[in-house]
Amino acid sequence: MIVHQLLPSFVPGDAMSAAAIGLRLLLRRLGHAGEVFAGEVAPGFGSLVRPARALRSGSCDLVLYHHGIASPLAGRMLLWRGPFGVVFHNITPARFYAGTRLEEPLRSGRAQLAALATRAAVGIGVSDLNARELTAAGFPKVTVVPLFVESARFDHERADADFARRLADGGRPLVLAVGRVVPHKRVEDLLSLHAELRAIHPQARLLIVGKGAKGQAHHRALEARARALGGVTFSGPLAHAELVAAYRTADVYVSMSEHEGFGVPLVEAMAAELPVLAFGAAAVRETMGGHGLTFTEKRFASLAELVSLVVEDESLRARLIDGQRRRLDALSPLAAEQALGHALQGLARAAPAAAPLAPRRKGKVRPRLALVVQRYGETVTGGAEAHARMIAQRLSADVQVEVLTTTAKDHLTWTNAFTPGPERDGDVKVLRFRVERERRMRAFNRLSEERFAQGNDLVAEEHWLAEQGPVVPQLQEHLAREAHQYDAVAFFTYLYAPTAWGVPLVAQKALVVPTAHDEPPLRFDAFADVFERPRALLCNTPEEVELIRQRFPAAARTRVVGVGVKAPNARGARFAEKYGLTGSYLLYVGRREAGKGVGWLLELHRVLVKRFHDAPTLVLAGDGDLPARGERVRALGRISEQDKWDGLSGALAAVVPSQFESLSLLALEAFACGTPVVVNAASSVLAGHVARSGAGATFSDAEGYADAVRRVGAARKPLGVQALRYSRRFDWSAVLDAWREEIDRCRSGRGAARTG
Amino acid sequence: MKLLGRDFSPRTVLQHVAARLEARGLADGPGPMAEDGTEARVDPMEFNLEALASHADATAPLPLETHRGGLGGRAVVLVKRVFRASCQVLINEALGRQTVFNGHVRDSYAQLASRLQSLELQLQSLREVRTAKVPAPRAPRPAKKRSPRSPRRPS
Repeated sequence: MIVHQLLPSFVPGDAMSAAAIGLRLLLRRLGHAGEVFAGEVAPGFGSLVRPARALRSGSCDLVLYHHGIASPLAGRMLLWRGPFGVVFHNITPARFYAGTRLEEPLRSGRAQLAALATRAAVGIGVSDLNARELTAAGFPKVTVVPLFVESARFDHERADADFARRLADGGRPLVLAVGRVVPHKRVEDLLSLHAELRAIHPQARLLIVGKGAKGQAHHRALEARARALGGVTFSGPLAHAELVAAYRTADVYVSMSEHEGFGVPLVEAMAAELPVLAFGAAAVRETMGGHGLTFTEKRFASLAELVSLVVEDESLRARLIDGQRRRLDALSPLAAEQALGHALQGLARAAPAAAPLAPRRKGKVRPRLALVVQRYGETVTGGAEAHARMIAQRLSADVQVEVLTTTAKDHLTWTNAFTPGPERDGDVKVLRFRVERERRMRAFNRLSEERFAQGNDLVAEEHWLAEQGPVVPQLQEHLAREAHQYDAVAFFTYLYAPTAWGVPLVAQKALVVPTAHDEPPLRFDAFADVFERPRALLCNTPEEVELIRQRFPAAARTRVVGVGVKAPNARGARFAEKYGLTGSYLLYVGRREAGKGVGWLLELHRVLVKRFHDAPTLVLAGDGDLPARGERVRALGRISEQDKWDGLSGALAAVVPSQFESLSLLALEAFACGTPVVVNAASSVLAGHVARSGAGATFSDAEGYADAVRRVGAARKPLGVQALRYSRRFDWSAVLDAWREEIDRCRSGRGAARTG
Repeated sequence: MKLLGRDFSPRTVLQHVAARLEARGLADGPGPMAEDGTEARVDPMEFNLEALASHADATAPLPLETHRGGLGGRAVVLVKRVFRASCQVLINEALGRQTVFNGHVRDSYAQLASRLQSLELQLQSLREVRTAKVPAPRAPRPAKKRSPRSPRRPS
């Protein structure tokens, strides 16, 4: 079904916002598509979260409204036509804010909660405490879906090393507290503890991480007292990698909060293997689940000794950390997913809850395959896209293939260029969906730089994915609603949103052609579902399988399938004549972009031409924004299919300068023409082709490039024979047999995921 | 003070803590205790009426606050205080009609809420009456078995 979420405001770093994105991940895993809407959206996050006004009645089967402090959206939900549930994040008791402007919205939030109870189909508490309050407010159906923490995001290697080094350089013990600097968090009690701890350890430090209203008298008083005590730092909010560094560097985590509806930082500290000492108020005891160390009274001198004991007693410390690790199982994504599945039972309107396997049809009926790819069409350039089209067309003889794609043609901007709706490409049915948002490359590159530099939380990675795009909510909805119509769903390229968000929706019948390269996004945990959940990963080369196994040890079953390549009749002389080429030439066919290594290739070729008077001409065929100027450089623009084969057969060698290749159709097509290749040594896939075929050379700098060209030039004929021999491995009938077998496995329910 | 946790012996740990305090010649006094009860339900109608009543006077000030820190924050608070002290007469004049209007909204809400409550009570009593009147379902009578030999009546 389609489940949208609505929350008052979306701000990165905020617990409710993180919960909504986390819930969306779980919903997908349960087979439900849906978007997140918010009353206010932080600047720059419009790709991930849409404004509340865009949420239309009838656009979904269920809305999950996140409720906390008073919000005008509660009134909107009271008039909502359709089923909705309330996810309750608790409201701080108003007594902590008596006499301030916050007092009334806190009470108002509780009044709104009671009013929602009469209309909501279900109340979801993120803890037992919240569930009890939902029941007290009058909700007839209440369940608990705990917030979850992805432990791996708090591993050592995710920490900002520089920040950790700076933090480690100072007095000990270092006590850490994470949370907003507001009255009910009782920072004053942390300071009282710190004062007692300084009496035992004069160099003790207290690090308080979290946002605070510095103008308020309460905050000013805290800062004044902290200055008097010494050794206290108010860091404000930290980036995720810095936060991990803080958890990993501190000696102990202390919570003095007098009200927590759940207490996410307690679980984060557990995930970062930091002993937790917490005041057992409200939901804290429940979140701790009997692990860590909970105290029921604030006797500061005793607590200071307790902190000291936990820091000094290695055995006690180890037992606490070990117990906390066990506690994390109950607060894992899997536990939350099961609880959410239970909460949503019976709430579906009419759609199937999850994509079930299609029933086996009697007689010889062609299996149905949905093929999801970010762009599709004869005029679309791109290796993965061409790969997808070849598979679709060749399989369509005995499989009903339906391509689910976008209306975009340009992979940089995702500008809508095709008409949405159904069309045909020969025997292949194509269904196009509109892209909601164009990509702005400059801003995206800046964001990528930032995200690739260090470890991220789930919100940051999902935000990057949304900016990467293409964002096509209707495609996700189609998958969620119509998956039962297909026997298998194949996804091409792991890197884009339709795959990352689509695979979990139909995991049990998903086949993924990842085309994975060793590149920064592959390190994002947001892609784990793409590699770990499908029925099988159909890879292009053994190198790709190895890379995936290294990055995702729990990856699904892998299989090298690749593509078949068969060269048509081709004549090099025809190409040379048509384009007026004299003498030998090196040919590159593909997008003329810096990301493909073309800029670097041009530079290496300039050096080659400068050094050798008989250097071959570099011919570049394909569209692109990179200017191709220079001596003995020819840019032909886009060329026909026949011209490409003619050009390859007459070339001295095909050049592949890209570092990020998972197959390289260009190299395979060159081999099929009996033409050797000159490739970037940094790509293990390309180097693997060269090593296995013995039909080419690799380069990693100007010297290597010159040497590779010289070696290929000296042995063009024998290398060509070896190229032809190697190309016989890429046979279409074997490739299509593998596809048919995998589709049949999905159809019959055989070959479960994660078989290794 | 009570310690909770299943990965250690709370009694032993507390003994260690007490011994350490004693060694320093200290004794610890009582401190605030933890509460883990749920908050009471806030009735929406009562709350709304109370909120409307307390804010009906649009000329009354809200608590003085700013999120800004340092000197800037203090300056903002000072400016707000001066504005209120010197311009209250103008504020009263500008928002007089709003205050009257708010009073009518408050009273209308109170009357509607009261009417709704009485209707709910009536509905509840009608339901109770209906429940009392509905007779208990009769036990189904066993169907008469027709002898296979008995002749059928001609229709």
